[in-house]
Amino acid sequence: MKLPFNIPEPTGLFQEDKINSNESEGAFNEFIDDKLKDIVEDIINDGDLTSFGDRESDIVIEMDDISPPSFTYGDNGGGGGGKGGEGPGEGAERIRFSLPFDRLMELISERLRLPNLVKEGQGKIKEVSYEFKTFGTAGVILDKKRTFKRALKSSIGTGTFNPDEDEYDILVRRRDRRYKLPERVEKPKYKAVVFYMGDISYSTYGERLELEKRIVGFIHSWLNYNYGAANVEHRFFVHDSEAHEVLEEDFFKVQNAGGTRASIVFDLVSRVAFNEYDAESTNFYGFYFGDGELFSTDAEDIGEILEKNMLPIFNRVGIVEVKPSSISNLVEKLKDKFAGDNTIRMDRVENKKEIIRAIKTLFGEKQHA
Amino acid sequence: MRNIKTDAELKFLEERVLHYADQFNRTLPEMRFFILDPMEFASLLIKRVYPVAPVNIWEGKEMVNTRHRIETGQESSLYYEVVQTGRPSYAYLNETNNAMTQASVMAHVVGHCEFSELNVMHDSNDDRTEWIIYLTRKIEMSRNQMGHKNYKTFWNACESVKALIAPNSQYNLENSVDTDNNISESERLEPEEKSILDSIPFDSTVQDIFKNTQEAKDKLLRIEQLRHARSETLSRVGYKLKAPCQDILGFLKEHSSLSQGEKYILDYMYAVNSTQDFVVRTQIMNEGWAMYWEKKIMTELFKEKACKGIIEYSKVAAGVMYPRPYFQRNPYHLGYYMWEHIEQLYKDGKVSLDYFEETSQKKKENWNKPSKVEPLDAMGHLVRTCTDYEFLRRFLTTELVDEFHLNRIDKRQAEQLGLKAEDVIREDRRYVWIDPRPIKNEMLNFYTHLYRPRIYLIDVDYMDGGLLLFHRDDGRALRKDWIRPTLKNINLIWKGSVSLLTKDTLYTYSAGSFNELRAAAPKFEVIVERIQNGEKPFRAK
Repeated sequence: MKLPFNIPEPTGLFQEDKINSNESEGAFNEFIDDKLKDIVEDIINDGDLTSFGDRESDIVIEMDDISPPSFTYGDNGGGGGGKGGEGPGEGAERIRFSLPFDRLMELISERLRLPNLVKEGQGKIKEVSYEFKTFGTAGVILDKKRTFKRALKSSIGTGTFNPDEDEYDILVRRRDRRYKLPERVEKPKYKAVVFYMGDISYSTYGERLELEKRIVGFIHSWLNYNYGAANVEHRFFVHDSEAHEVLEEDFFKVQNAGGTRASIVFDLVSRVAFNEYDAESTNFYGFYFGDGELFSTDAEDIGEILEKNMLPIFNRVGIVEVKPSSISNLVEKLKDKFAGDNTIRMDRVENKKEIIRAIKTLFGEKQHA
Repeated sequence: MRNIKTDAELKFLEERVLHYADQFNRTLPEMRFFILDPMEFASLLIKRVYPVAPVNIWEGKEMVNTRHRIETGQESSLYYEVVQTGRPSYAYLNETNNAMTQASVMAHVVGHCEFSELNVMHDSNDDRTEWIIYLTRKIEMSRNQMGHKNYKTFWNACESVKALIAPNSQYNLENSVDTDNNISESERLEPEEKSILDSIPFDSTVQDIFKNTQEAKDKLLRIEQLRHARSETLSRVGYKLKAPCQDILGFLKEHSSLSQGEKYILDYMYAVNSTQDFVVRTQIMNEGWAMYWEKKIMTELFKEKACKGIIEYSKVAAGVMYPRPYFQRNPYHLGYYMWEHIEQLYKDGKVSLDYFEETSQKKKENWNKPSKVEPLDAMGHLVRTCTDYEFLRRFLTTELVDEFHLNRIDKRQAEQLGLKAEDVIREDRRYVWIDPRPIKNEMLNFYTHLYRPRIYLIDVDYMDGGLLLFHRDDGRALRKDWIRPTLKNINLIWKGSVSLLTKDTLYTYSAGSFNELRAAAPKFEVIVERIQNGEKPFRAK
């Protein structure tokens, strides 16, 4: 006996759903993100920002592989390893994955609570590119997929393609053709110049050199992250009793035992900024590193240059006394003058533990008393 | 994921494969075929051949790795046969395979489905995949109720115990734990010995003299005490150990204090992992059976020209059935040739008392007295009654070890293994051969431990309601740095103290603290006896 109806085919999951592990992959990525935050935290607590690898390139993170702890063979001695509870155990294997430079800087800025730098010059310089977004009936680049789809529809409509009757002709008419059309896209382009100023009148070696390198390294990466590496120019200046520009690789090498006058390097940098760049469309940053041992009216002169020449056009000027001595007086003399200013930032760094604080001073939100 | 009905060519091949399965009188459950793209296939495998799984980082980790390996060309996205047996069975085809390969996959699946349906371990059950889909939905709903952090924590804890599962062990849940439900069964503590007095007419004087001895009274008293203790424990907690329990996950699932969401997670873990035992214990027979029927059905398909590519098929089959040394046993190769060998034995009538009792070696070599039993029927009987252990014990001989190259090792590998020159019995340019005689026993030993430590639950009221686990010593130590996190995870599930006795140390995790204590572990046999006598199996001094 036959049923008066056909039992419908099962529907739902087995008909059209896609098998995937997207949610679990997301959960794993979240877990890795937490791990990364721990790694970044460790690095930051250690103050060793240079361990982030080559600037602007992806860095490779290596960490213990994770697997759920269980009773397995293999006595590898005492000592903690697995975490248990919510934490997966850690096996002897290591897993490696690359971390994009931008993601790393994002994590650092989250951890240090650094705001993104304010970019000026919007609307003045524009980056023009073309994206193929729209589709038209005339053009140069034929969109084969769309054209074929339309041709197939037309052919079915006109009956030239009808498998039931053994008709398989797909005719591509002129009106079926679809072309990719370029669309002009204008994006504001930001440009930044960073001036690094170093005092070579004192002996820059050992821990002092290390501290300076680490701060310069971070500034380099941070500005590149904010503006895009291609849009940032990094320039290096040194001074003793005279000031001159050097190559990046010589910034930490040049040494001179002569006298010192720091105001001349501020003066030189402000003149370079003013004469070589369009102040309207460029973001200027200047950072000074020295022991802060200045004589005569040097500090007052610097204050005047900062106020008159740099403050109007610079986005940020940082002054860092690296391992200052008892007679260091640069920050001391200037701090009252620029106490309420958001552009001029100053700090002193004694050891690597203080680097993070200095970076927060240079780039963090200004704390007003 | 799409139904096979969406592809006319594959639908036709499915019909032909099932036609020949029917012609060969195969006993099959309903089989449903689906077509997947490569990434779906990878995901399905990670989900243990179910279309869904609750969110967890371990699946995510595996998927990230697999995706990376496929995208960088380190791993082929081609997989051949993937089936979740049961009633109905769900088999999945990779859309990148060609039609001939798809036909061979379907033919192979026929063998697996029948094996699961018939085998003594009764792997096939109703609506297995549907049950997992149901549990996954329930867990997804519970996830929100539990809170994501609690869910994640509990899931990760369960991952630690998923290997502590032994549904087919001599010490499985049914044989080890008395509960309210099986109390009547357990009441039979010791079978009453048949006394000669029962067979003579009743006489009160004789009975008094022989039955009411002090010994008989003591025995009665002991039985009564045990019965009393048991019923008291059962009425208090609802379960009692009558033997060490190797199915620890099963015990936790049934007797832990769990929220509904946690229960679903443990149910899911148990359901997904419990079939693993069947797979490991029958892999050689199962894969061999599948290859055997695949070859038979494919031969018919090639004969009737339902699909093309017999040379390509032969190449693929040769690759799949390539011989490997015994410690890397290739179940496709060993299983298939074992079945062929057994078929020949039955054809020649060599599985008979006459053959075994024959003393003349010459006669034995030329033996050809076909028995009345059809070889295929006899092979089916083996499927119904054996697992790999018995299969190998009965039919694998030293000659076959040599013939199947189970004692052949690649020279480079032999060097890595530190094989000495005196262990080599012969060699050629590429391989060395070792003595085949000890290999059979070595292969059989695998089934006693499955390369895993044997952990038993021996006390469910240790330190006031805590669990005491026991590692049956086999000369190897457990990985020490994982003991604490594993105990912590079990503690999270059990919600009471958990201890592990291994070698000479007692580890305890209780109320957030972990400690180690030197303790002499009794022998497993002593523990079994103590539990049966209603004594504490172990007391720390």
